Formats: sequence, structure tokens, C-alpha cells
Amino acid sequence: MAKKNRMPLGIYIHVPFCRSKCEYCDFYSLGGGKEKGLMEGYLQAVCTHIKEAGALAPGYVVDTVYFGGGTPTFFGAEGMVQILTAIRRRFDVDNEAEITFEANPDSVTPRALRRLRAEGFNRVSLGVQSDDDELLKKLGRPHNYRQVEAAVEMIRNAGFHNLSLDLMYGLPGQTRAAWETTLRHVLEFKPEHMSCYGLKVEEGTPLWQYQEYANLPNDDVQADMYLSAVEIFREKGYQQYEISNFARRGLRSRHNIKYWTGGEYLGFGPAASSDFGGKRFTVAPDLKAYIAGMRTGGAVLSECQEIPARDRAGEYLMLRMRTAYGVEEEEYVKNYLLPFEPLEAILQNYAKQGLAMQDEGRWRLTARGFLVSNAILVELLEAQEQSAPLAKRRK
Amino acid sequence: MTDLSKIRNFSIVAHIDHGKSTLADRLLEVCNAIESREMENQILDNMDLERERGITIKARAVKLDYTAQDGETYTLNLIDTPGHVDFNYEVSRSLAACEGAVLVVDASQGVEAQTLANTYLAIDAGLEVLPVINKIDLPAARPAEVKTEIEDIIGVPAEDAPEISAKNGVNIPAVLEMIVQGVPAPKGDRSAPLQALIFDSQYDSYRGVIVYMRVMEGTVTPGMDVKMMATGATYKVVEVGTMSPLGLQPCDALGAGEVGYLTASIKTVSDTRVGDTVTGVERPATEPLPGYRTVQPMVFSGVYPADGSKYQDLREALEKLKLNDASMTYEPESSIALGFGFRCGFLGLLHMEIIQERLEREYNLDLITTAPNVIYRITKTDGTVIMVDNPLNYPDPAEIELAEEPFVKASLIAPQEYVGNIMELCQERRGEFKDMVYLDSTRVELHYEMPLNEIIYDFFDALKSRTRGYGSLDYEMDEYRPSKLVKLDILLNGDIVDALSFILFAENAYPRARKICEKLKENIPRQMFEIPVQAAIGGKVIARETIKALRKDVLAKCYGGDITRKKKLLEKQKEGKKRMRTFGTVSVPSEAFMAVLKLDED
Repeated sequence: MAKKNRMPLGIYIHVPFCRSKCEYCDFYSLGGGKEKGLMEGYLQAVCTHIKEAGALAPGYVVDTVYFGGGTPTFFGAEGMVQILTAIRRRFDVDNEAEITFEANPDSVTPRALRRLRAEGFNRVSLGVQSDDDELLKKLGRPHNYRQVEAAVEMIRNAGFHNLSLDLMYGLPGQTRAAWETTLRHVLEFKPEHMSCYGLKVEEGTPLWQYQEYANLPNDDVQADMYLSAVEIFREKGYQQYEISNFARRGLRSRHNIKYWTGGEYLGFGPAASSDFGGKRFTVAPDLKAYIAGMRTGGAVLSECQEIPARDRAGEYLMLRMRTAYGVEEEEYVKNYLLPFEPLEAILQNYAKQGLAMQDEGRWRLTARGFLVSNAILVELLEAQEQSAPLAKRRK
Repeated sequence: MTDLSKIRNFSIVAHIDHGKSTLADRLLEVCNAIESREMENQILDNMDLERERGITIKARAVKLDYTAQDGETYTLNLIDTPGHVDFNYEVSRSLAACEGAVLVVDASQGVEAQTLANTYLAIDAGLEVLPVINKIDLPAARPAEVKTEIEDIIGVPAEDAPEISAKNGVNIPAVLEMIVQGVPAPKGDRSAPLQALIFDSQYDSYRGVIVYMRVMEGTVTPGMDVKMMATGATYKVVEVGTMSPLGLQPCDALGAGEVGYLTASIKTVSDTRVGDTVTGVERPATEPLPGYRTVQPMVFSGVYPADGSKYQDLREALEKLKLNDASMTYEPESSIALGFGFRCGFLGLLHMEIIQERLEREYNLDLITTAPNVIYRITKTDGTVIMVDNPLNYPDPAEIELAEEPFVKASLIAPQEYVGNIMELCQERRGEFKDMVYLDSTRVELHYEMPLNEIIYDFFDALKSRTRGYGSLDYEMDEYRPSKLVKLDILLNGDIVDALSFILFAENAYPRARKICEKLKENIPRQMFEIPVQAAIGGKVIARETIKALRKDVLAKCYGGDITRKKKLLEKQKEGKKRMRTFGTVSVPSEAFMAVLKLDED
């Protein structure tokens, strides 16, 4: 079978190790010494997992690989290379595949970066978050801004031409002016891609405990921060292609786009999720159980569900409306056999308020619409829930 | 039938929390009526709510056999009474079934407002009042002083009052001896035409209504045709008997002086009103026992299911509660805001809370209730007089000649250092000071005349907080007085939300309107557009707040692992929205309705 007829597949590797846990983070990751002695077991387990899964995916070609976490570079280049090698051995990885890893400024070295680049990694997502050392400290980040500058230089020198930087807004005590300065400052690195996230206080994090005293900007200020970011990116020639993601032309994250457009992906490592063969499943967020399970052949999933067509229709709305690509009538009707009119009526209404827009026949949200996308989605989902399938109606 | 001379019918009166129910438990225990291991605490309060709140809501009666020091065995009928001002009439009927009352007074708290109120009811009913000093185990107990207090304030000899601890079972036999010696034996002619006083009734799904009564004259037996003198309903008696601590004990006949029950396949408690007289059909009494009156609800509120589709469930729940509670009324009403619901009438605020809580707990309903409302008397310009228990029916101001509202006589007792606070509170609530009496060197009783309207809004809570819990309140209905009333409407996005309208004293309108608007602003989530919240009197806006349009409601991050979680979040948001009420385009959560009921909490 020729390669172009084969199904594309994304692979996600969750690397659950960090130098230390940040105050706001609720991703599954061990840090501050808790990871000691588990890295080797993790490496073996992931490789075993990849080996087992490889057999399940004949007919697929892997066109994106993403090492996230956690901090893959804290885990180390050597282990990352071994995992990538295991992937290549068991899956058909496309020559043009986008292979990304997440990195923190404090855990990159020129040597490691060169090694990763040589092994085929071609995209870096660097966690910057802020240019304000005081704020970085408050957030529990293990680096300062000088280290960011050094890291970017190392990454460029190692031959990476696709660099993404992560920033956060809505930070303790942050003003809109300070945020705009940070953004312009960071854009001087001329990254190909940027992700900007509003700080979300998640239950179970240290920040959750003291949020009332954290002097967090209120919703209105956060909304203003978001809108000024959108404006600055536009001005600098970045396209907004998702709620929180901006890229130079042609340099969108192909891996992440799969999440929002219903692409298939397999996840390895504790807490990693997959959407494959019509099922969505997640590995339990428990490294020790994962290692043991892989050693003995025991179960490691915490959740596995077949997604019914009706739910897929809901996901289509929920995920596509996050993107600038939006939704389109023919696509929707063909795939889900549901009427588009009720959705269009709602969107038309929001278009009047400047929250939605029609662009070359596709409906999408504007930047202000993205900001209130939950409320709009809830309305769209309600309308979808109440509509009768077209196939039935035609009988 | 027990010989009249061996019967003692008594009740226990006390202020709330002075240990009435605990004492009742101990009396039962000492009489070996129940083994202690069979005993759940406070067997008389057998409604969950009663046990939790430590109050008696419904009257209960129990028969005890006590072998006294004189060697004779006596039948002691204990008729427990509800201990709250809302149920004054029920209390008075229970007392009318007795010859004596044991007055329980807390050895540290002393005489309080309800002690007085209930004692006066007992004295009015011609009962022998026998004081008991309880809780002598408390470090703050001051039995000697409390005895003096009882003699000085109530005027009942208390020198020999037993000093007991019901909780620890100290000195309980002394109470029983006191009852045998101090409570007069009942009188009555067992061959006379039947006259039995109903002091309670209860619906049982197998036997129909069980009527609890005290036979005053004559005798009642199974098979006999009886008639309720006030309602006129007639029945054939199926069973008569007495109330043992563990259940009903059928017997052949109940005669004058005895306390017991009858069943007669009665379908609803509405036919067996408290205070009514049961007589024989064949040989009826010439007149009913005195004191009967129809109980009228005084406080009204709209009760709606939070989920509109539960209307039928709410109807069925109210029907069932009504089987057992003749004093509650309900009739269907509909609101543009809340859909279909019921306008319910209650004896007072406690009664209202109890019913609402039972609906929520026992029938698993989520309710939205509207602000409580008293009955206003409105004389229209055309001369007609209407009674308004619902703001929806309040006439246009131009049609009103005279508006009147009910006033009560309130009595408040507290340590003297709180007199200033109480006066301030009563003044805020439009109270008219009548007089003030020193009960002893430290405590004061104040008399006020106040609009009932002002009491039904959390007055009791305010009193407690301003007197550090020491203040107590009792009140009775007085009369209607002319008043300046207005109807306050609340508008959301320009539309009147009928369920939030209420009637109030004109001078209170401005501050209350402002508070309501603030509360609504706090409790209505921001929506996709700006929402003006306004309060208006007859079309004139007197307060306004604005709920700004929603600007941020977004899941910033959504990658592979998050999809299931985010889906659940949206699902939750969707469910949350369903639970809200929609007016035009504005969604209002039920908490917003509750919040406006609790304006005075901060």
C-alpha cells in the first residue's frame, strides 16, 4: 500500500518528571526529588508500551510526535532518543514528520540539543511564561529570564528552525501594560510559534490554596490582556489559529491541530490520552502502577470509552470552535447527519454582537467570541441536543 | 377503664431547650415503660426534624403506669405539647386536655419568654402548675435564685420544686411523686353523653386518621357512631385504645378522664380538627367543649419546584403533608417567572421552614420559595375590602382607599445589658414601645406592638445575634392597623419578575430596594449581554444595579488529555444552565431567589 493512502497518526509521549512543581500546575508530574530512581523504570515501561501498541497500528503513518510533560529535557536527551528510536522501530514514521519536545530553560544544554536535533527532533516548545524574574519566582518556575535568553540562543544554534514559546497572562499582580511589555519583549526572539494561556487556578495546586491572597487580575482585566495579545500578534504577522495559539504562516503545530480536528493519536506514559479506533482512553496518572503494569502485563488505563457518533458531533463543535478554521455546514451535515440551521441561527445572532463571523463559508468565533466560547458552546450544544437526525427525518 | 382517682393527666411546659423532652424520656424510663436499650433518645419527638432541632412540632401523648410510694398504681397520661409560638393554639388544646402542668425551668437560664407564655396558657386553662428545676448538673446552675424568680415572676410556689438533672437521671422519682400528689384527678361522668377533646390527629395509611383525644364526659366504644361537632363529619368507631410508649394499645372502651385514641376509617385530618369535640350520634352532647377555633395561616409564601418538571411531585408531596397538617393551606398559583407552583399558608415562620424542609428532605424536592407575606387588608376606593396574601393580587395604588397590616403584641425577655440593643432592633422594625418590667435584678421584659410583617423577616435571628443568644421572644396576634404600604417590583433587563415582587412599608422601600438589587447582582452570573437590575414602585425606578456582560468564559488550554475533562466541564455548565430559570433572555439561578430572602444577614 502506498504511503499516501495510509492513515495519519500522532504520537504523544508523556514524560512525568520536573525539577520542581510549579505553583499553578496540575499536570501529572513528579518533581523535587520524588522522581529519583523512577526514570529508568519509566523508560523501560514506555518502550514496552510502544512495542505492544505498534502491533495495533498497521496501515498508519506517524506524521507527528510530541514529547510533553512534565519536562522532557529534565528527563534527558538520552532517554528521549531511546524512546524516539523505539517509536521508529515499531511505527512507520514519515520522513517529514513534525517531532516536538517541550523544554524548560534550566534543563537544556548545547550538547543535548544538538543530539536531539541530530536524531530528528525538529520543533521545540520552550516554557517561558514571563520575562519578570519576580513573577517567575512567585510561580515556582525553576529559571529566570536570563536563562530564557540563553536557552533560545542554544536552541537556534543547535539548528532548530521551529521554535514555540509559552507565555502566561493573568499572573499575580500583573497589569495589562506589564503584559503587553512582556509580550513585545519575548517577540524579539522572533519565535515561529507562540502559545499564550490565561492562568487558571486549578483545584489541588498550591495556588488554589492561597488564590484569594494572590492578587490575581479579575476577569475583565484578563479579557483585556487577551485582546491586546491578539492585537499585538496580528500586528507582528502571526496568525491566530486557535484560542491560545499563534503562528507564522505554515508553522502551526500539526500535532496539536489533531486534537482539535478529530485526528487520531496514541499516548504513552502515565496520564497520556489516546483517541484511536473510535475509542478514547487514558493511562492512569500513576507512574509506579504504570511501570508495574508494563512489567507484568497488567492493566494501566484509567478510562476507556467508545465515543458514540452523537458525542463526536458535540466534540466537533467543542473542538473546532476553538480554532480559526471553525465549522462548516456541509462537513457537519455529511459527518453527523444533523441539521446545521439551529447552529447557524445562534451563530448569526452572535455575529451581530461581533462574537462570531462567517469566513469563506465557514463559521468561526472572533477573538472576543473565543473569550466567551464556553457560553456560546453550551448554547450550540443545547441546540444540537434538541435537533432530530436528518436521516430519520427523511424516512 | 381506670378509676378516675388513679388518673393524672399532665403536660410539660418549658422554654425551648430547657429539657422538656429529656425529662419526658426519663419519666418513661423510671416507669419501666420502655427498656433503656430500646430507647432512642427522646422518643416523644419522633420526627427527624424534631430531634435535630430539639423542638416538638406535633403534640404527642403517652400513657405511663407508675407505682407510687403510697403503694397504689397510677395511670399518668403525659401530653407533650409543641414548644413554639407558631403553635400556640395547639398548645392551648393540649393543655385543655390536662389537669396539671409540669413547668421545667433551666437552672442556669431561668425564666424566659416562652416559659412565661406557656405557663400563662397553662394557668389560663385552669391547670395546676408544678415547677421543676432542671439541669442542676450545670456549673452555672443557680436553683435557689431560679426558684425565687419563678415565685416572683410567675407567682407559682416553687419552694419545694424538685431539683433535677433529666440528662443524668437525677431525682426523677421526685417529679413522679409530685405529679401524683399535685395534679388533681380528672372529673367526669362516664354515663353522660360523650364529649371528647381532640388534641391531635395523625394520618396512617392503613387505618386512616388516628384521633388523639381526652374524654371529658361519657364513654366511647368501638362500633359507636360518633360525630365531630365542628366539622359535622360522622363516623363509626373502629377501634379505641391508649398510647403505650411503644405503640397503640387497643382496649374495650375509653371513659371520662382517660386519654386515648380512636380510629374510624377517616380519610383526612381536615375532618378531625384540633380542638373539636367528638360526641355520640345517638346521644349527642348539648354543646361542644369550649375553645375551638379554626386555625388560620398567617404567613404565606409561593413554593415552586426548582425544576419546573417536578410540579406534579410537589403537588403530591403537599397533598401527603396536608393529610397530617390541617393548619397548612396550599393552592395552585402560577408565576411568569417560576411557572407553576403553590401559594402556601403557614402558622408562622417556623411552620413554614419546617414544611419546606420536610418537602426537600422527605420528598427529595428542590424548592424555590418567594418572600413570606402576611395578609394585608385593603379597602378599595369602591368600598370593597380584600385580603391580600400575594403581591400578585395587590391592587393598583390608585384603587386603594386604605391599606392595613396585622400587628402583634410582642414580649421580649433578655438580660438588662441588652435592653439598648433590643430597643434599637424593635425601633428599626417599627415596633411601638409599650412598657418594660424588671423581672429580677438582672432581667427585663419589654413589651412592644409591632407589625407582623417585620417579625417574619428573620427578626428572631436578629434578636438572638444582638443579645448573644440570651434574648427570647413571644408574640400574639393583635389587630389590623392602617399603614403606608407599597408594592415593590423587581425588573431584570426591563421585565418585571413577578416572583420577586413584595409588599412592604413605604419608608423601608428605598433601603430594601437597594439591597435587593445588590444581592441580585451578586447572585446572577454575568451573561452574554449587560443586564439592568431595577427596583420600582408603580413604574418608578428607585434603585438600579447593572450586571455587566460576560467577558471571559473560556477553557484556555485543551489538548489530548484534557478533552474528556473539558467535555465534562461543558456538560456541567449545561446542566447548571438547565437548573436556572429563564426570564426572556436572562437566566437566574435559584440561589438568587434565596438570596433576596436573606437580606438582613449581613
